[in-house]
Amino acid sequence: MLKKSLALGLVSGLLAGIAGIIYAHLYYTINEADFSKVASTINILAASLFGGVLAAIGYTLLDKWLKTRGEIVFNLVFTLISFISLLAPIAVRLPRNIDTPELFPGMVIPMHFFPALAWFTLKPLFIKSK
Amino acid sequence: MNKLFYPIAAVLILAASAFTFLSAPGWQIADGYSISFTNDEASGIFKDFKGTVLFDEQNPAAGKFDVVIDVTSINTGNGLQNKHAKSDEWFDAAKYPQIHFVSRSMARGGNGYQVTGDLEMHGVKKPTTIPFTFKKTAQGGVFTGSFTVNRSDFGIGKPGGEVPEPVKLDISVPVTKS
Repeated sequence: MLKKSLALGLVSGLLAGIAGIIYAHLYYTINEADFSKVASTINILAASLFGGVLAAIGYTLLDKWLKTRGEIVFNLVFTLISFISLLAPIAVRLPRNIDTPELFPGMVIPMHFFPALAWFTLKPLFIKSK
Repeated sequence: MNKLFYPIAAVLILAASAFTFLSAPGWQIADGYSISFTNDEASGIFKDFKGTVLFDEQNPAAGKFDVVIDVTSINTGNGLQNKHAKSDEWFDAAKYPQIHFVSRSMARGGNGYQVTGDLEMHGVKKPTTIPFTFKKTAQGGVFTGSFTVNRSDFGIGKPGGEVPEPVKLDISVPVTKS
């Protein structure tokens, strides 16, 4: 199970990262708000992959401990963590030479849901439901 | 009467031109300035700053500062805090959009100079003394100063509370000859 969920985690993390990078470029074009110093391409990709791999480990553990109820608990926990993680970009203090910090949460908040979205979308391709 | 006109005019012009030698040279505020404030709970910068700077190292008494900070340019690094700082609970930027300092006297003091003037924030004007130094550079010079104000003296924020009363201001202003 770990092998399959790790593959799913890596692929969904990679896709979430690519989606995040595209979204960041779009956001910059629309709002002219450049946060590349704090949310660079590498940072977005690394954070998304981290989220995907963490989800893979969490899924494997919950599936092992809770058997049939593992998946539903995992889905709930993954969504909850995605929501709770929104507090980070809202509370973060950016370097003061970065203009318009009020636009930062608007860029990062959607990205926090990309790993979960990618995971739920791709899961049927990697792991069959019980 | 006509006979007196030219002599009087000559004396007046001479007297006026003598006073121009007493006024300090003017400086242009250059990019790269920094106006920051800090205390244990709040810190940030003001990004927009402009004004008139007259200063002569040899004759500081002839100097004059008249500078304005745009309160709406406050940046704490956090959007919510910026909004909060500009609200009527703190700076009330809509009603008091500027922080204004006009010097009244300037003299040598401490390790550099001291300027005393009126600092107006949040609609409250208070006499304030700012110690500063001036360092010459290839392009002109840099004024550096640091002083502390009590936010409640200016009616900024509620007295007491989480944010301590003293707020330290650090100023660094590069200038070029105007």
